[in-house]
Amino acid sequence: MNWLKPWFSRRHLYHALSEELQQHLGEKIEELVAAGMSKEDATAAARRDFGNVTLIEEDSREVWQWPSLESFFADVRYALRILRKNPGFTFIAVLTLALGIGANTAIFSIVNAVILRPLPYKDSSRILTLHTKTAMFPNFTLGLSWPAFQAIRAAGSIEEAAACWETDRTLTGTNQPAMLSAAGVSSGFFEELGGRAELGRLLSDQDQKAAEDRVAVISQALWRTHFAKDPAVVGRRLILDNKVYTVVGVAAKGFAYPERADVWVPISLTSDIEQNPTFFTFDVLAKLRKEARLATLRAELATTVPRLEQQLAKDRPDLAGDYKITAETLLDNRVQDARQSYVVLLAAATLVLLIACANLTSLLLARGWARHREMAMRAALGASPGRLRRQVLVESCLLAVLGGLAGMGLAVGGVQIFCAIAPPDTVRLNEVSLDWTLLWFALASSLLSGLIVGLAPARRAARMSPNELFKQGTGAGARRPSRFGSALVVIEVALAFILLAGSTLMVQTLAHLLYQNPGFRTDHLLTLDLPQPPNWDEKDADRHAASQIAGMKQIMADVRRLPGVQDVAASDHGVLNGLEFSHAGIKLEGVSSEKAEISEGIVSRYLSPGYFRMLGISLLRGREFEEHDARQSHKVALVNEAMAQKFWDTLDVVGKRISISKDEKANPEWNEIVGVVSNVRDLDIQQEAQPEYFLALFQWGVGSHHLVVRTRTNPDALADTISRQIWASFPDQPLTHVMTLTRTIADSVGDQRLHTALLGVFATVGLAVALLGVYGVVSYSVARRTQEIGVRMALGAARPDILRMVLRQGLTLVALGAAIGTAGALGATRAIASELYGVTPTDPATFAAAIALMLLVGCLACWIPARRAVRVDPLMALRYE
Amino acid sequence: MKKPEQRDLFPGALEMMILRTLKRQPLHGYALVQHIKRTSNDLLQIEEGSLYPALQRLLKEDLVKAEWSISSTNRRVRIYKLTAAGARHLERQVSSFEKMLEGITRVLARGES
Repeated sequence: MNWLKPWFSRRHLYHALSEELQQHLGEKIEELVAAGMSKEDATAAARRDFGNVTLIEEDSREVWQWPSLESFFADVRYALRILRKNPGFTFIAVLTLALGIGANTAIFSIVNAVILRPLPYKDSSRILTLHTKTAMFPNFTLGLSWPAFQAIRAAGSIEEAAACWETDRTLTGTNQPAMLSAAGVSSGFFEELGGRAELGRLLSDQDQKAAEDRVAVISQALWRTHFAKDPAVVGRRLILDNKVYTVVGVAAKGFAYPERADVWVPISLTSDIEQNPTFFTFDVLAKLRKEARLATLRAELATTVPRLEQQLAKDRPDLAGDYKITAETLLDNRVQDARQSYVVLLAAATLVLLIACANLTSLLLARGWARHREMAMRAALGASPGRLRRQVLVESCLLAVLGGLAGMGLAVGGVQIFCAIAPPDTVRLNEVSLDWTLLWFALASSLLSGLIVGLAPARRAARMSPNELFKQGTGAGARRPSRFGSALVVIEVALAFILLAGSTLMVQTLAHLLYQNPGFRTDHLLTLDLPQPPNWDEKDADRHAASQIAGMKQIMADVRRLPGVQDVAASDHGVLNGLEFSHAGIKLEGVSSEKAEISEGIVSRYLSPGYFRMLGISLLRGREFEEHDARQSHKVALVNEAMAQKFWDTLDVVGKRISISKDEKANPEWNEIVGVVSNVRDLDIQQEAQPEYFLALFQWGVGSHHLVVRTRTNPDALADTISRQIWASFPDQPLTHVMTLTRTIADSVGDQRLHTALLGVFATVGLAVALLGVYGVVSYSVARRTQEIGVRMALGAARPDILRMVLRQGLTLVALGAAIGTAGALGATRAIASELYGVTPTDPATFAAAIALMLLVGCLACWIPARRAVRVDPLMALRYE
Repeated sequence: MKKPEQRDLFPGALEMMILRTLKRQPLHGYALVQHIKRTSNDLLQIEEGSLYPALQRLLKEDLVKAEWSISSTNRRVRIYKLTAAGARHLERQVSSFEKMLEGITRVLARGES
């Protein structure tokens, strides 16, 4: 513990040193006096010979110190004292930095969790996901067929591959029937992803061979919601689509592939499906060999795919053509759509931080002028330029670290708020969490900001000469408003303007979206899905469909009787929820063959009678579906305006026929058009209406039912009553997506809403900080020019003149910033072009409004210092000298 | 960072002279300065103060030790004494200094001829 000794005895050492130096000087003075000098002269001569006492004492002490570190601590202590003495300045500086660093840190932790961090699977960077593209469905990315999966599995660059087929299944036998997402998985699925079991076991090869044993692995979520985390869940029963499965295990926490999967079962396929080259259903995960590249696999695909296509062409010549298999990493597949918007958010947060840094730099520079006497004094006392520079940097870094700490708090809150308000379908949302990355990022960005912010003030401090002391604080240099400081404010305003323009565009987009009239009544509507168990038995299809239709009719009648319900209609799927069904092989009577060659299909919907009336969609021609359009009767259809116009160039299409199916002799089965309805935006509120046709729900048997209920009062309040009413007659009928249509519409713009909110917050913060900068520069210059203003007033300048002078100075900065910002924003808003709706990225009205707003708040920022300037009393100002 | 510098002297020269002086007799700071000035016939003009950082360094490395006593002029002064380690250090320093001086002298002599 020898090295500790100096720390304890140091105080003693320093005292001894001080006394020794005093004695030395005393002895010298005595000697000089003895030689005949006066006391004063002797003192002066002794001091001259001796040198800088303080410096020498400091240097001598430093021998005992860990010098750089201890003088660093001294700097920190000094800086803390200075910051404490100026609480107003410190508060503003820490707050602005905290906002900048907080915004950045929060967004970065989200970006890190969503985009940068590898997916939580074993060797996830080598896992690829494969998709089919064909001429048959040019707009869709499909899964692979089973033969294609086998070909991929055999590829040389692939280490292992697994397939999974996700389907919705009805869970019954519990207190409430539910829809589960069940993944049928091939052998090797869990091994490839490195999945682990929390309880029991995962699926084995043995399970795959004995598919009739019906075993299942359940997710954490299902274990929690349906089994109350029962530790003895292994061995319990699970009834899916009326088939009994045995739970063999619970997947470990965080294992979520496919993302929504509730339960995993061994895949069981008929030999038909195993040989079907067009059953593009399987989600294939292939793991590249360690040494292989994605390009290697793509090269292999180039030879494999034509073979598969030939095979396909043999079976279904009509479906061949443009057959491709695409491969990309799982991470790319998951996040590529989200990447752009996160990059925009990160850029916006960075702008906020830059504004904060620029603001703090100009504040520090202004304060540097105010403190130049102190610095000159320190220089005169022997502080080297390096030491002065370090002092300023220590101060700015200290501010930044304080700001970083506060920012970390903001970031923690921000990430939590983000998770709470983000649309639930946001990619990897469940992986966003608070972790060490946040801490390191906040610390690193605050230190970096501290250094950047301190750079210019430190340079200035290091150039300080002791001569400044004699300039009485009114030296020319100190009085001239710093051009660099003004430039900083202009930059701040410009950056803030970019944020302002971007967020104004987003706000307009959101307003357009939310107030977009979809063309039908969206109020007082409660909608719910009633999934129907699939029927794979062709022979039984007719009876099955008939019973489904009877069931649905009864449900509608039951619900209609409930008090508070005004009307009920049904369809096969809901509106504005991202679902779109279309038929590829549609034929249109009386339309030339090339025009009817509709490869991408036409969007369709199955509807009950009274659907259009209830939604307030006007009937342009003919009639809508009626009760007598039953299974046995002549099949009928409706089309919308867009479809009639596109294919027949007229609305008078009643009596024309369309076909989507063939009878046993391959002749088309015709549906006669009985009516035409007006165009509505029922698919996507952001899109113009597309051609659509409608079939009678009760003439066909379809795999899903959707109920639309118009209520007299708040639709949310009826949700439970309606559910109970349905379960009273159909206890095994799952009900999903029970929500109001207003809510569905709000959810469909969830992403824009989130991004608008975030950009709005960033723009507000950026604007506030930039204006603080304007305020700071203007009021500082008013304070400096008090005398000048006094003189002007004494010479006859009127108050409005003074007011104009100050406002002109401030507004010039704002206008310059807004001009530069406009140029920048014209380029930057292109980054959000894909998210905009109803407004172009360079919308002149938006820019004009943003400029006006900027100037207006600029005036506000100048107002207080301007008022102070006109209140200057000429007498006082002159006496001040 | 400002380093204490011995103007006109090479690094370590001041320390060497202090040790050499203290080898003759223990002295306090002021007396040390006077002695060095006198013996060098005022050729070495050292800033008096710069002695003290050097003394602190020597103290820290245990080459000298210091104790308080009363000077002839009745002042409380710190008398510095050479330690055994200091004496050894001085010998090494002096011999390496002499070698260096010899080398320099030879080069200078050669350069003249």
